[in-house]
Amino acid sequence: MKNSTSWALTAGLLLAAGPAWSQTAPAAPAALSGTLRDAATGEALVGASVFVKALGQGTSTDENGFYRLVLPKGTHTVTYQILGFEPQQVTLTLAGDMTRSVKLGAQRQQTREVVVTGLRAEDNVKKPEMSVNRLDMKTVKLMPALLGEVDVVRSIQLLPGVTTVGEGASGFNVRGGGIDQNLILMDEMPVYNVSHLFGFFSAFNPDAVQDMTLYKGAIPARYGGRLSSLLDVKMRDGRQAERLTVNGGVGLISSRLAVEAPLIKDRTSISLAGRRSYGDLFLKLIPEQRKNQAYFYDLNVKVNHRFSAKDQLTLTGYRGRDVFNFADVFKNDWGNMGASARWTHQFSPRLFGSASAVVAQYDYGLGVPNGTQAFDWTSKIRNYTGKADFSYQLGANNTLAAGVSGTRYHFEPATVKALSAESIFRGLKVDDQQAGEYAAYLDNEQTLGPRLQLQYGLRVSVYDFLGSGTAISDYVGETGQRKTPVNTRTYQDGERIKRYANLEPRASARYTLDLNSSLKASYTRTAQYVHLISNTTAASPLDVWSPSTNNIRPERGNQVALGYFRNFHDNAYEASVEVFGKTMDNQVDYVNGANTLLNKDLEGELLYGQGRAYGAEFFVKKSQGKLSGWVSYTLSRSERQIDGINRDQWYPNKYDKTHSLNVVGMYQLGPRLTASASFAYGTGVATTFPNGRFVYEGLVVPVVSGDARNNYRVPAYHRLDLGATLKNRPRPDRRWQSEWVFSVYNAYSRRNPYGIYFRQNEDNPRKTEAVRLAVFGSVIPSVSYNFNF
Amino acid sequence: MKRFPFFLTLLTAGLALLSSCTDVVDVELPEPEPLLAVEGNITDQPGPYTIRLTKTGPYFQDQEPPVVRGAELVLSANDGTTETLRETAPGVYQTRQLQGKIGQHYVLSIKAEGQHYRAATEIKRIPGIDGLSQQYKQNEPGWDNGIYAFYNGPELPGAGDYYRFKIFLNGELQNDPDDLVVRDDALVDGRYIGGIELNSEPLQPGDSVRVQLLSLPQDYYYFLNEMFTQINNVGLFSSPPANVRSNVVNVDPAGPKAVGYFAGTAVRSARLTIQ
Repeated sequence: MKNSTSWALTAGLLLAAGPAWSQTAPAAPAALSGTLRDAATGEALVGASVFVKALGQGTSTDENGFYRLVLPKGTHTVTYQILGFEPQQVTLTLAGDMTRSVKLGAQRQQTREVVVTGLRAEDNVKKPEMSVNRLDMKTVKLMPALLGEVDVVRSIQLLPGVTTVGEGASGFNVRGGGIDQNLILMDEMPVYNVSHLFGFFSAFNPDAVQDMTLYKGAIPARYGGRLSSLLDVKMRDGRQAERLTVNGGVGLISSRLAVEAPLIKDRTSISLAGRRSYGDLFLKLIPEQRKNQAYFYDLNVKVNHRFSAKDQLTLTGYRGRDVFNFADVFKNDWGNMGASARWTHQFSPRLFGSASAVVAQYDYGLGVPNGTQAFDWTSKIRNYTGKADFSYQLGANNTLAAGVSGTRYHFEPATVKALSAESIFRGLKVDDQQAGEYAAYLDNEQTLGPRLQLQYGLRVSVYDFLGSGTAISDYVGETGQRKTPVNTRTYQDGERIKRYANLEPRASARYTLDLNSSLKASYTRTAQYVHLISNTTAASPLDVWSPSTNNIRPERGNQVALGYFRNFHDNAYEASVEVFGKTMDNQVDYVNGANTLLNKDLEGELLYGQGRAYGAEFFVKKSQGKLSGWVSYTLSRSERQIDGINRDQWYPNKYDKTHSLNVVGMYQLGPRLTASASFAYGTGVATTFPNGRFVYEGLVVPVVSGDARNNYRVPAYHRLDLGATLKNRPRPDRRWQSEWVFSVYNAYSRRNPYGIYFRQNEDNPRKTEAVRLAVFGSVIPSVSYNFNF
Repeated sequence: MKRFPFFLTLLTAGLALLSSCTDVVDVELPEPEPLLAVEGNITDQPGPYTIRLTKTGPYFQDQEPPVVRGAELVLSANDGTTETLRETAPGVYQTRQLQGKIGQHYVLSIKAEGQHYRAATEIKRIPGIDGLSQQYKQNEPGWDNGIYAFYNGPELPGAGDYYRFKIFLNGELQNDPDDLVVRDDALVDGRYIGGIELNSEPLQPGDSVRVQLLSLPQDYYYFLNEMFTQINNVGLFSSPPANVRSNVVNVDPAGPKAVGYFAGTAVRSARLTIQ
């Protein structure tokens, strides 16, 4: 009897001690995993929080709505929540690895609609990642838009650390980097030119985009190939559980139509979206203009198929194009296209893998179809990429990620053909080029105690410049001047000409100060092997990408960032202060008067140097409640030093802006009406002013003392935009919902200077004058109508 | 001829659809240090050849630039001939005997205001012009109805030729900044250059059209090309403002620089009176 009591007591003690023991030595935890979906549509919920409050442990769902949480065995209450949905609490007993998928129901309508970057509010403080901004399309659609065209790139330009050389210019500059230093991924397809209509609109159809994430630093080791940022644009996959949904819109510039539908319930879904501008349809009403065409379009398609809970296949396709035809006199068109296939597999609740195949292309054509000057000119860059990525939950405190990728590039810089026998043109081909880029990475997210979390990894990239059966040269000559080709030799197709390799360590750390604040630090090293050859203020659609060659070395960047992150009022406000410093080497620039097109000896006209940027970014964002939006202020400097420019001295980049302030606000005035406003202020871009002149054969030529570059500033830029979205009264008997979107761009009609230029007076050639060019010189109102059913 | 280049120009024209606007603004610029400015040619046509020396002035100063008087200019050819130029008017220096020849290299030595400069150039080969022709265009897309003049002539086989076209309408050189037309032969090497229009607005019967074709040394082509860029440098796709090159080099590398160009060109011309 006594013995049995003693046994029972011992067993009881052991049982009681059990959980404590497993907490201190987490050798036998179990993984809880699953997928979070929208109960109404079946769509995966990205960035939802999954946590066990009692343990203070949590995670968030990935791009497929998938989550994994390693917990001690036992009974737990797990909370699933994401803004806009009713949170759910599930109590479960974890005896071993288990799967639990959850569907969340939407909250009341008006709370759901105003969601500013509603993803992972507490991640601002809790994740080791920093220098990251997320925007979801619902937010972007509420912001005032130029001519009613909801624009991904314009909204990116309102974030801290992001600048542009001017409105209407293609692309964006992140923390003092060039526009070609942004890795822009549409799903997994790189987008080489993000613009329609020279830069006035972006290549992303708003109805096809789910959300986007901009990494300005601390870029995960999984991504590489560009120096300054990663813009990851996720497209809608229409994982509909229920029914066919149609979204559409009619605007001043373009019309849109998007369809999302289940093909096989709970297994296969499709999302199709198209957009076309139709300014040229009006041209057809004018007899002389009937033969002219000027339009752009994009088509997006994404198909998702679930073979099982563990296997999923996603196919994505994209084509966007701008077309200009001036009767039979001149034609020009350009655009991106791409396709990707991605298979994801869950090997176990701890091991998750994916494999992808991607092809992407940018090309343009231009020509004169008829007459003695008939020609056809084409240019193209295309890449084929294959990659595999894995993530593995190692114990309770480590999440490993590893992967490999390989890319083959084909460059066709220029092919010009004469189109008729009497054409004056002989035709010209700038030799094709090829290259391979390979990478492998290993990354670990490690929790060290309750306060410290680390993410560290290494990316190894190897690049081969390959022969194409054509001649290549070295270039010699005086620095700062055009160089001449020497030592010209021929390499076989696929033969390696030059290999470069780079180690790219990435690391970031989060140290929790208290429940609502943390300190973070990061170091990022990046390498870039392809370069946009552009010597104009704004990149033009005719600019060509060049590989790194025996002459052009890969660009390398180093960035250090420190930040303080704090949330207020139960995560209603997210705030951060970040300081960063960045160096960039092997930056490409151009000799004066460089000819970057149709030039067989382009490499002789390039100059090389270094860049540096540093600054502080202040950001406050409010995500909940009737009023939402953000305020961002950036104090920064971006400079470069190129041998052969500005007497080899450092000078500010064109897009250097000392001060940049952005305020974006959205206010829910009633159940049907939302008003919005955004204000932008920035130091004027840097520019070069001449101060002297001479007359050569009757023409006045400007002279810049001391060969200075970017020695002046154009006046400051500031602009207010206003917008309002009015939903039509819903009819309970109809699925049709619609809304009117009004916006006023440049509300107080400021003539913001794009640049200041110097020229002869048209009437009196001897007189010279300074001229301010404003891209938009007036208020630009617009209205568009959107519907869905 | 104006339609010939218009690759990027048309792209920029597309932007005119949008409501962009320009206006003249006041800008304060610091006083520049005056530099020697050289403008002059030697051609394969009979002389005299003229060199003008002036000084650069403040950008907004619209008076005649100050001339440089009393300079010593010596022009020598690589066949050994040498001539000292005479100042025939303030700042204007001319040859008397020297005859430019295709294939010759020339060096101009300038001693002015205590500095010594040198400028080297050559006269390159040039094709002949077969003649100009006229054609009436009616209801052709891209053309206003009316009479147009066209250039016809061969281009010499072998790449590396550079040309400037000067167009005179009724005796007047078309000399707006965008009338500066320079071309290389990379795309047209050895082809027959026929049917290239010379006027963008229709001509009337009785109008006279004259074309001067100039062959350019490569460096002078770069000079004129850079000059074209800098004096037409407005808009979204403008290039970085920068100083145009010069072949006038101070013998003392630390001494003040000079601007402008002394160029050798061969010249051919053709004329047409519109019927």
